[in-house]
Amino acid sequence: MRRFPVLFLLTLGCVALAAVAATAADVEIPVTIDKNRFEPSEIKVKAGTAFVLVVTNKDATPEEFESKELRIEKVIPAGKTMKIRVRALKPGTYPFVGEYHEATAKGRIIAE
Amino acid sequence: MGATFVITLREAFEAALLLGIVYTFLDKLGARAQFRYVTLGGALGVGASVALGIAVSVLSGPLLDFGPDLLGTIVIFVAVVVLTWHGWWMRQHARAVKGDVQRRIEDARGDHRIWVVATIAFVGVFREGAETVLFLWGLMTQAGVTGWGGMIGGALGVLTAAGLGWAIFHGGRHVSLLRFFGITSGLLLLVAAGLFSTGVGKLEGFGVLPASPTLWDTSAILTDRGSVGGFLAGLVGYRARPSLLEVLAYATYLVVAATLFFSRRASPTSAPGGTRQPARVA
Repeated sequence: MRRFPVLFLLTLGCVALAAVAATAADVEIPVTIDKNRFEPSEIKVKAGTAFVLVVTNKDATPEEFESKELRIEKVIPAGKTMKIRVRALKPGTYPFVGEYHEATAKGRIIAE
Repeated sequence: MGATFVITLREAFEAALLLGIVYTFLDKLGARAQFRYVTLGGALGVGASVALGIAVSVLSGPLLDFGPDLLGTIVIFVAVVVLTWHGWWMRQHARAVKGDVQRRIEDARGDHRIWVVATIAFVGVFREGAETVLFLWGLMTQAGVTGWGGMIGGALGVLTAAGLGWAIFHGGRHVSLLRFFGITSGLLLLVAAGLFSTGVGKLEGFGVLPASPTLWDTSAILTDRGSVGGFLAGLVGYRARPSLLEVLAYATYLVVAATLFFSRRASPTSAPGGTRQPARVA
Protein backbone atom coordinates (compact mmCIF):
# COMPACT_ATOMS: atom_id res chain seq x y z
CA MET A 1 0.00 0.00 0.00
CA ARG A 2 2.90 2.31 0.81
CA ARG A 3 4.53 1.80 -2.57
CA PHE A 4 1.41 2.78 -4.46
CA PRO A 5 1.83 6.56 -4.28
CA VAL A 6 5.46 6.26 -5.39
CA LEU A 7 4.54 4.04 -8.33
CA PHE A 8 1.71 6.35 -9.24
CA LEU A 9 3.95 9.40 -9.23
CA LEU A 10 6.65 7.62 -11.21
CA THR A 11 4.11 6.65 -13.81
CA LEU A 12 2.88 10.20 -14.07
CA GLY A 13 6.46 11.40 -14.35
CA CYS A 14 7.07 9.06 -17.25
CA VAL A 15 3.87 10.16 -18.89
CA ALA A 16 4.92 13.78 -18.55
CA LEU A 17 8.31 13.09 -20.09
CA ALA A 18 6.65 11.20 -22.90
CA ALA A 19 4.34 14.15 -23.46
CA VAL A 20 7.26 16.54 -23.69
CA ALA A 21 9.05 14.23 -26.09
CA ALA A 22 5.97 13.72 -28.23
CA THR A 23 5.38 17.42 -28.51
CA ALA A 24 8.75 17.97 -30.07
CA ALA A 25 7.50 16.55 -33.35
CA ASP A 26 4.10 18.25 -33.48
CA VAL A 27 2.97 21.07 -35.69
CA GLU A 28 3.06 24.39 -33.85
CA ILE A 29 0.33 26.92 -34.37
CA PRO A 30 0.92 30.41 -32.98
CA VAL A 31 -1.98 32.16 -31.29
CA THR A 32 -1.90 35.60 -29.76
CA ILE A 33 -4.02 37.06 -27.03
CA ASP A 34 -4.24 40.77 -27.63
CA LYS A 35 -6.73 43.24 -26.18
CA ASN A 36 -8.62 40.27 -24.74
CA ARG A 37 -9.10 38.68 -28.15
CA PHE A 38 -7.61 35.61 -29.74
CA GLU A 39 -5.78 36.11 -32.99
CA PRO A 40 -6.50 34.03 -35.04
CA SER A 41 -9.88 33.20 -33.65
CA GLU A 42 -10.47 30.47 -36.18
CA ILE A 43 -7.80 27.81 -36.37
CA LYS A 44 -7.87 25.14 -39.04
CA VAL A 45 -6.07 21.92 -38.32
CA LYS A 46 -5.72 18.54 -39.87
CA ALA A 47 -7.96 15.97 -38.21
CA GLY A 48 -6.25 12.96 -36.70
CA THR A 49 -2.98 14.75 -35.97
CA ALA A 50 -1.95 16.11 -32.62
CA PHE A 51 -0.71 19.68 -32.63
CA VAL A 52 0.61 22.34 -30.32
CA LEU A 53 -0.89 25.78 -29.80
CA VAL A 54 1.81 28.26 -28.96
CA VAL A 55 -0.16 30.92 -27.13
CA THR A 56 1.38 34.31 -26.45
CA ASN A 57 -0.42 36.62 -24.08
CA LYS A 58 0.37 40.17 -25.15
CA ASP A 59 -2.04 41.67 -22.65
CA ALA A 60 -1.05 42.89 -19.20
CA THR A 61 -3.48 40.54 -17.46
CA PRO A 62 -3.54 36.74 -17.36
CA GLU A 63 -5.99 34.81 -19.46
CA GLU A 64 -7.30 31.31 -19.02
CA PHE A 65 -7.45 29.39 -22.26
CA GLU A 66 -10.34 27.00 -21.85
CA SER A 67 -12.05 24.52 -24.07
CA LYS A 68 -14.61 22.25 -22.47
CA GLU A 69 -14.73 20.08 -25.59
CA LEU A 70 -10.98 19.54 -25.50
CA ARG A 71 -10.84 19.31 -21.70
CA ILE A 72 -8.15 21.97 -21.69
CA GLU A 73 -7.80 24.67 -19.06
CA LYS A 74 -4.64 26.69 -18.90
CA VAL A 75 -3.77 30.01 -17.35
CA ILE A 76 -1.41 32.07 -19.52
CA PRO A 77 0.19 34.77 -17.38
CA ALA A 78 0.62 38.27 -18.80
CA GLY A 79 3.41 38.53 -21.33
CA LYS A 80 4.05 34.78 -21.37
CA THR A 81 4.13 32.23 -24.14
CA MET A 82 2.93 28.76 -23.31
CA LYS A 83 2.51 25.64 -25.34
CA ILE A 84 -0.74 23.74 -25.18
CA ARG A 85 -0.65 20.32 -26.69
CA VAL A 86 -3.90 19.23 -28.25
CA ARG A 87 -4.49 15.55 -28.96
CA ALA A 88 -5.44 14.26 -32.39
CA LEU A 89 -8.97 15.44 -33.13
CA LYS A 90 -11.81 13.92 -35.02
CA PRO A 91 -13.22 16.19 -37.75
CA GLY A 92 -15.39 18.85 -36.20
CA THR A 93 -15.51 22.25 -34.54
CA TYR A 94 -14.07 22.78 -31.09
CA PRO A 95 -14.83 26.16 -29.52
CA PHE A 96 -12.54 27.71 -26.94
CA VAL A 97 -12.74 30.80 -24.76
CA GLY A 98 -10.62 33.03 -22.62
CA GLU A 99 -12.41 32.40 -19.38
CA TYR A 100 -11.44 35.69 -17.82
CA HIS A 101 -12.77 37.73 -20.73
CA GLU A 102 -15.43 35.49 -22.20
CA ALA A 103 -17.31 38.24 -23.95
CA THR A 104 -14.47 39.02 -26.35
CA ALA A 105 -11.99 36.17 -26.09
CA LYS A 106 -13.41 33.35 -28.10
CA GLY A 107 -12.51 31.22 -31.03
CA ARG A 108 -12.72 27.79 -32.49
CA ILE A 109 -10.57 25.04 -33.81
CA ILE A 110 -11.82 23.41 -36.96
CA ALA A 111 -10.44 19.97 -37.63
CA GLU A 112 -10.91 18.63 -41.12
CA MET B 1 -17.11 43.73 -11.42
CA GLY B 2 -19.94 41.21 -11.61
CA ALA B 3 -18.01 39.01 -14.02
CA THR B 4 -14.93 38.78 -11.80
CA PHE B 5 -17.12 38.23 -8.75
CA VAL B 6 -18.75 35.17 -10.32
CA ILE B 7 -15.40 33.77 -11.46
CA THR B 8 -13.72 33.88 -8.07
CA LEU B 9 -16.88 32.83 -6.22
CA ARG B 10 -17.06 29.71 -8.32
CA GLU B 11 -13.38 28.94 -7.91
CA ALA B 12 -13.35 29.52 -4.17
CA PHE B 13 -16.66 27.89 -3.32
CA GLU B 14 -15.50 24.29 -3.52
CA ALA B 15 -12.62 25.08 -1.18
CA ALA B 16 -14.97 26.86 1.21
CA LEU B 17 -17.42 23.97 1.12
CA LEU B 18 -14.79 21.34 1.89
CA LEU B 19 -13.28 23.46 4.64
CA GLY B 20 -16.70 24.10 6.16
CA ILE B 21 -17.44 20.38 6.11
CA VAL B 22 -14.20 19.27 7.75
CA TYR B 23 -14.32 21.94 10.44
CA THR B 24 -17.91 20.95 11.28
CA PHE B 25 -16.92 17.30 11.21
CA LEU B 26 -14.18 17.83 13.78
CA ASP B 27 -16.43 20.03 15.86
CA LYS B 28 -19.08 17.32 16.01
CA LEU B 29 -16.55 14.73 17.03
CA GLY B 30 -15.44 16.96 19.88
CA ALA B 31 -12.07 17.38 18.23
CA ARG B 32 -11.85 21.15 17.98
CA ALA B 33 -8.23 20.80 19.03
CA GLN B 34 -7.59 19.49 15.53
CA PHE B 35 -8.92 22.61 13.84
CA ARG B 36 -5.33 23.79 13.58
CA TYR B 37 -4.47 20.94 11.23
CA VAL B 38 -7.25 21.91 8.88
CA THR B 39 -6.18 25.54 9.09
CA LEU B 40 -2.61 24.44 8.40
CA GLY B 41 -3.73 22.40 5.41
CA GLY B 42 -5.67 25.34 4.06
CA ALA B 43 -2.83 27.77 4.70
CA LEU B 44 -0.39 25.44 2.93
CA GLY B 45 -2.88 25.32 0.09
CA VAL B 46 -2.81 29.11 -0.16
CA GLY B 47 0.99 29.10 0.06
CA ALA B 48 1.29 26.47 -2.62
CA SER B 49 -1.14 28.37 -4.84
CA VAL B 50 0.90 31.56 -4.51
CA ALA B 51 4.11 29.62 -5.13
CA LEU B 52 2.67 28.01 -8.24
CA GLY B 53 1.36 31.35 -9.44
CA ILE B 54 4.81 32.86 -9.08
CA ALA B 55 6.48 29.86 -10.70
CA VAL B 56 4.18 30.02 -13.69
CA SER B 57 4.92 33.71 -14.12
CA VAL B 58 8.66 33.27 -13.81
CA LEU B 59 9.42 29.97 -15.55
CA SER B 60 9.56 29.14 -19.22
CA GLY B 61 9.95 26.06 -21.31
CA PRO B 62 8.57 22.54 -21.02
CA LEU B 63 8.44 22.70 -17.23
CA LEU B 64 6.04 25.59 -17.51
CA ASP B 65 4.02 23.97 -20.26
CA PHE B 66 3.50 20.62 -18.57
CA GLY B 67 4.32 21.11 -14.89
CA PRO B 68 1.10 22.80 -13.78
CA ASP B 69 -0.98 20.33 -15.79
CA LEU B 70 0.74 17.37 -14.19
CA LEU B 71 0.44 18.92 -10.75
CA GLY B 72 -3.21 19.76 -11.29
CA THR B 73 -4.00 16.21 -12.36
CA ILE B 74 -2.18 14.71 -9.38
CA VAL B 75 -4.07 17.04 -7.03
CA ILE B 76 -7.38 15.95 -8.51
CA PHE B 77 -6.69 12.26 -7.96
CA VAL B 78 -5.28 12.84 -4.48
CA ALA B 79 -8.49 14.70 -3.69
CA VAL B 80 -10.56 11.75 -4.92
CA VAL B 81 -8.59 9.39 -2.68
CA VAL B 82 -8.89 11.46 0.51
CA LEU B 83 -12.56 12.25 -0.03
CA THR B 84 -13.29 8.56 -0.60
CA TRP B 85 -11.35 7.61 2.49
CA HIS B 86 -13.20 10.22 4.52
CA GLY B 87 -16.59 9.01 3.30
CA TRP B 88 -15.66 5.44 4.07
CA TRP B 89 -14.48 6.43 7.53
CA MET B 90 -17.77 8.18 8.26
CA ARG B 91 -19.63 5.01 7.29
CA GLN B 92 -17.44 2.84 9.47
CA HIS B 93 -17.81 5.02 12.49
CA ALA B 94 -21.30 6.41 12.18
CA ARG B 95 -22.78 3.75 14.42
CA ALA B 96 -19.85 3.63 16.78
CA VAL B 97 -19.95 7.34 17.54
CA LYS B 98 -23.69 7.36 18.05
CA GLY B 99 -23.51 6.54 21.70
CA ASP B 100 -19.96 6.82 22.79
CA VAL B 101 -18.55 10.30 23.21
CA GLN B 102 -15.17 9.15 24.47
CA ARG B 103 -14.86 6.84 21.50
CA ARG B 104 -15.52 9.81 19.23
CA ILE B 105 -12.60 11.75 20.56
CA GLU B 106 -10.25 8.80 20.35
CA ASP B 107 -11.29 8.03 16.82
CA ALA B 108 -10.83 11.62 15.78
CA ARG B 109 -7.42 11.73 17.34
CA GLY B 110 -6.11 8.96 15.18
CA ASP B 111 -3.16 10.16 13.15
CA HIS B 112 -4.75 9.13 9.89
CA ARG B 113 -7.67 11.35 10.73
CA ILE B 114 -5.42 14.40 10.98
CA TRP B 115 -3.76 13.59 7.68
CA VAL B 116 -7.06 13.15 5.89
CA VAL B 117 -8.71 16.37 7.05
CA ALA B 118 -5.55 18.41 6.52
CA THR B 119 -5.16 16.97 3.02
CA ILE B 120 -8.79 17.65 2.18
CA ALA B 121 -8.25 21.27 3.26
CA PHE B 122 -5.06 21.49 1.20
CA VAL B 123 -6.38 20.01 -2.04
CA GLY B 124 -9.63 21.92 -1.68
CA VAL B 125 -7.76 25.22 -1.63
CA PHE B 126 -4.93 24.31 -4.01
CA ARG B 127 -7.05 22.87 -6.80
CA GLU B 128 -8.32 26.21 -8.01
CA GLY B 129 -6.01 28.23 -5.81
CA ALA B 130 -3.21 28.89 -8.28
CA GLU B 131 -5.64 30.09 -10.93
CA THR B 132 -7.44 32.33 -8.47
CA VAL B 133 -4.13 33.81 -7.28
CA LEU B 134 -3.00 34.56 -10.82
CA PHE B 135 -6.37 35.96 -11.68
CA LEU B 136 -6.50 38.31 -8.69
CA TRP B 137 -2.86 39.29 -9.16
CA GLY B 138 -3.57 40.20 -12.75
CA LEU B 139 -6.57 42.28 -11.71
CA MET B 140 -4.51 44.05 -9.07
CA THR B 141 -1.70 44.99 -11.43
CA GLN B 142 -4.24 46.28 -13.91
CA ALA B 143 -6.25 48.25 -11.37
CA GLY B 144 -4.28 51.39 -12.10
CA VAL B 145 -5.31 51.24 -15.75
CA THR B 146 -8.74 49.65 -15.84
CA GLY B 147 -10.01 50.71 -12.43
CA TRP B 148 -10.57 48.82 -9.24
CA GLY B 149 -13.94 47.35 -10.12
CA GLY B 150 -12.54 44.06 -11.34
CA MET B 151 -10.29 43.59 -8.32
CA ILE B 152 -13.07 44.46 -5.88
CA GLY B 153 -15.41 42.03 -7.60
CA GLY B 154 -12.81 39.32 -7.49
CA ALA B 155 -11.99 39.90 -3.83
CA LEU B 156 -15.70 39.98 -2.96
CA GLY B 157 -16.14 36.64 -4.68
CA VAL B 158 -13.52 35.02 -2.47
CA LEU B 159 -14.96 36.66 0.64
CA THR B 160 -18.48 35.53 -0.25
CA ALA B 161 -17.27 31.98 -0.73
CA ALA B 162 -15.56 32.14 2.66
CA GLY B 163 -18.78 33.47 4.13
CA LEU B 164 -20.73 30.58 2.65
CA GLY B 165 -18.21 28.15 4.10
CA TRP B 166 -18.66 29.76 7.46
CA ALA B 167 -22.43 29.55 7.09
CA ILE B 168 -22.08 25.82 6.45
CA PHE B 169 -20.05 25.48 9.62
CA HIS B 170 -22.53 27.50 11.62
CA GLY B 171 -25.54 25.64 10.23
CA GLY B 172 -23.88 22.26 10.53
CA ARG B 173 -23.51 22.65 14.25
CA HIS B 174 -27.27 22.47 14.74
CA VAL B 175 -27.60 19.24 12.85
CA SER B 176 -27.23 15.85 14.53
CA LEU B 177 -23.99 13.96 13.99
CA LEU B 178 -25.60 11.13 12.05
CA ARG B 179 -27.58 13.47 9.87
CA PHE B 180 -24.49 15.53 9.23
CA PHE B 181 -22.56 12.39 8.24
CA GLY B 182 -25.43 11.41 5.96
CA ILE B 183 -25.70 14.76 4.18
CA THR B 184 -21.98 15.25 3.76
CA SER B 185 -21.51 11.68 2.58
CA GLY B 186 -23.97 12.33 -0.20
CA LEU B 187 -22.38 15.64 -1.09
CA LEU B 188 -18.81 14.35 -0.98
CA LEU B 189 -19.90 11.38 -3.09
CA LEU B 190 -20.95 13.75 -5.86
CA VAL B 191 -17.94 16.04 -5.47
CA ALA B 192 -15.52 13.11 -5.60
CA ALA B 193 -17.32 11.53 -8.56
CA GLY B 194 -17.07 14.87 -10.34
CA LEU B 195 -13.38 15.14 -9.54
CA PHE B 196 -12.69 11.61 -10.72
CA SER B 197 -14.56 12.24 -13.94
CA THR B 198 -12.71 15.55 -14.40
CA GLY B 199 -9.37 13.83 -13.89
CA VAL B 200 -10.26 11.21 -16.48
CA GLY B 201 -11.38 13.97 -18.84
CA LYS B 202 -8.06 15.77 -18.39
CA LEU B 203 -6.18 12.58 -19.19
CA GLU B 204 -8.26 12.31 -22.34
CA GLY B 205 -7.39 15.89 -23.19
CA PHE B 206 -3.69 15.18 -22.71
CA GLY B 207 -3.92 12.15 -24.94
CA VAL B 208 -2.91 9.82 -22.10
CA LEU B 209 -6.28 8.13 -22.38
CA PRO B 210 -7.80 7.58 -25.82
CA ALA B 211 -10.38 10.17 -26.80
CA SER B 212 -13.86 8.72 -26.43
CA PRO B 213 -17.00 9.86 -28.22
CA THR B 214 -19.31 12.45 -26.75
CA LEU B 215 -22.27 10.62 -25.28
CA TRP B 216 -24.89 13.32 -25.19
CA ASP B 217 -25.40 17.04 -25.41
CA THR B 218 -27.58 18.62 -22.77
CA SER B 219 -26.36 22.17 -23.35
CA ALA B 220 -29.85 23.11 -24.47
CA ILE B 221 -31.19 22.12 -21.05
CA LEU B 222 -28.30 23.35 -18.95
CA THR B 223 -25.14 24.74 -20.46
CA ASP B 224 -21.96 24.23 -18.50
CA ARG B 225 -20.85 27.73 -19.41
CA GLY B 226 -23.57 29.68 -17.59
CA SER B 227 -23.83 30.63 -13.92
CA VAL B 228 -25.73 27.60 -12.62
CA GLY B 229 -24.23 25.10 -15.04
CA GLY B 230 -20.73 26.43 -14.53
CA PHE B 231 -21.20 26.21 -10.78
CA LEU B 232 -22.38 22.61 -11.01
CA ALA B 233 -19.56 21.85 -13.42
CA GLY B 234 -17.02 23.02 -10.89
CA LEU B 235 -18.62 21.44 -7.86
CA VAL B 236 -19.98 18.07 -8.96
CA GLY B 237 -18.48 17.70 -12.40
CA TYR B 238 -21.54 18.40 -14.53
CA ARG B 239 -20.74 18.29 -18.23
CA ALA B 240 -23.16 19.26 -20.98
CA ARG B 241 -21.21 17.16 -23.46
CA PRO B 242 -19.57 14.38 -21.49
CA SER B 243 -17.35 11.83 -23.14
CA LEU B 244 -17.93 8.12 -22.77
CA LEU B 245 -14.94 7.72 -20.45
CA GLU B 246 -16.09 10.61 -18.28
CA VAL B 247 -19.55 9.13 -17.90
CA LEU B 248 -18.11 5.70 -17.17
CA ALA B 249 -15.74 7.17 -14.61
CA TYR B 250 -18.54 9.08 -12.90
CA ALA B 251 -20.91 6.10 -12.86
CA THR B 252 -18.25 3.66 -11.71
CA TYR B 253 -17.18 5.93 -8.91
CA LEU B 254 -20.77 6.48 -7.78
CA VAL B 255 -21.46 2.76 -7.65
CA VAL B 256 -18.23 1.82 -5.89
CA ALA B 257 -18.23 4.70 -3.43
CA ALA B 258 -21.94 4.51 -2.69
CA THR B 259 -21.34 0.94 -1.63
CA LEU B 260 -18.47 2.07 0.57
CA PHE B 261 -20.37 5.02 2.04
CA PHE B 262 -23.87 3.70 2.37
CA SER B 263 -24.08 -0.06 2.39
CA ARG B 264 -25.96 -1.66 5.22
CA ARG B 265 -23.88 -3.94 7.30
CA ALA B 266 -25.44 -7.38 7.80
CA SER B 267 -27.09 -7.56 11.21
CA PRO B 268 -27.07 -10.80 13.19
CA THR B 269 -30.68 -11.68 12.43
CA SER B 270 -30.49 -11.11 8.72
CA ALA B 271 -27.91 -13.78 7.94
CA PRO B 272 -29.09 -16.33 5.39
CA GLY B 273 -30.68 -19.43 6.86
CA GLY B 274 -31.45 -17.48 10.01
CA THR B 275 -28.23 -18.55 11.72
CA ARG B 276 -27.11 -16.20 14.40
CA GLN B 277 -23.74 -14.56 14.08
CA PRO B 278 -21.87 -12.59 16.73
CA ALA B 279 -22.20 -8.82 16.26
CA ARG B 280 -19.13 -7.40 14.61
CA VAL B 281 -17.32 -4.66 16.47
CA ALA B 282 -16.37 -1.67 14.33
